[in-house]
Amino acid sequence: MSVTPRSSNYMSRPSSSGLVDVVDLILDKGLVIDIYIRVSLVGIELLTIDARIVVASVDTYLRFAEAVNRLDLADDKSQGLPELVQGMQEGGARHKTRGALEGVKDKVSGLIGGGEDEDDEEEPEERPRRRSRPTSRKGHER
Amino acid sequence: MSATPPQAACYVYGIVPSGTRPPEAAGVGDPPAPVTLVSHHGVAALVGEIDVRRPLGTPRDLIGHARVLDEVAAARTPVLPFRFGAVVRDTAAVTDELLAPQEQRFLAALEDLDGLAQFTARATYRQDRVLREIVAHRPDIARLREEVAELPEAASRPRRIRLGELVAEALVARGRSDTDHLVAELGPLAAATSRAESTADQPATVSFLVAADRWSAFERAADALAADWDGRVDFRLIGPLAPYDFAPQLVDAQGPGSWD
Repeated sequence: MSVTPRSSNYMSRPSSSGLVDVVDLILDKGLVIDIYIRVSLVGIELLTIDARIVVASVDTYLRFAEAVNRLDLADDKSQGLPELVQGMQEGGARHKTRGALEGVKDKVSGLIGGGEDEDDEEEPEERPRRRSRPTSRKGHER
Repeated sequence: MSATPPQAACYVYGIVPSGTRPPEAAGVGDPPAPVTLVSHHGVAALVGEIDVRRPLGTPRDLIGHARVLDEVAAARTPVLPFRFGAVVRDTAAVTDELLAPQEQRFLAALEDLDGLAQFTARATYRQDRVLREIVAHRPDIARLREEVAELPEAASRPRRIRLGELVAEALVARGRSDTDHLVAELGPLAAATSRAESTADQPATVSFLVAADRWSAFERAADALAADWDGRVDFRLIGPLAPYDFAPQLVDAQGPGSWD
């Protein structure tokens, strides 16, 4: 039996990963060939090497400040039933978040897509430290 | 062992058991060469010919790398993925410098991986909903927000930066707490867990190694969690995948390589 991605009511279950997912999943992950191969390693130019640079903190902060300033807090008073109904109509997992929270991802896609024009002035601050740390392994019985 | 012209080299996707059927997915390169197996006793490398004159890293290259490896993982074959961009001179070098010296470690790591694949769960926030909650629960942020709104843009910059910093910190704090919840709910169904550091943009991402006989239960548990979070969080479950987050530790755990 092979697992085929099923539709689900609440979570999105992409059948094949899109570019943003792939970037997050594979870049900087996996075995490093340099550890094993010493003589016959071929240096090849990598376009993606700095793809996950995040923009300087100040820009990030201003982005969040703008997002929180744009909020219409008057909506708060109507929070509750109307929003609940709206949520039901829109049907869970099909929502797409847009705006500040997606900013960095959009940027990453732009960089990888070869857009090297308007991003040049942004000052890369650091490579994000998102290297995962396994907290446990083994422990599976066969 | 074919003589390869100088502009051609060997792209290495990952390590699999000998006898694995090569995946059909289009891999890295333009056009992508077929993925083949270079075997040495019990272990093999998934490789494809590549033109060294062309830089690597287009979206198609990245997706090709992932699809080749994920197809193997989805077929329940253990696979040790290499980091994107592993290129070796030729297939002879793959055998002599990679497979032969590392045979025992790779075999042991593949055995540990038997029946396991990676699933990555990623929760992102519905922006307005979560920001509203933050403003509602944090009087300091609400006050600063009002101050910023009353000032002309040029004069408010330091306060806007501070406001954004506080919001980003609040998002990270929520992300950590939601990551804890993700690990607590889904971790018991997994053989191993690997959490990414929470950021304001990616608040909760956790990878799990899950045994094939638990894939369905794992998906059901993930969907139940997504239901709990509905309205506040967009929840994505990606997998089965090659164990990108676990392979290096699995190999390291097998002890030193044979050259040592």
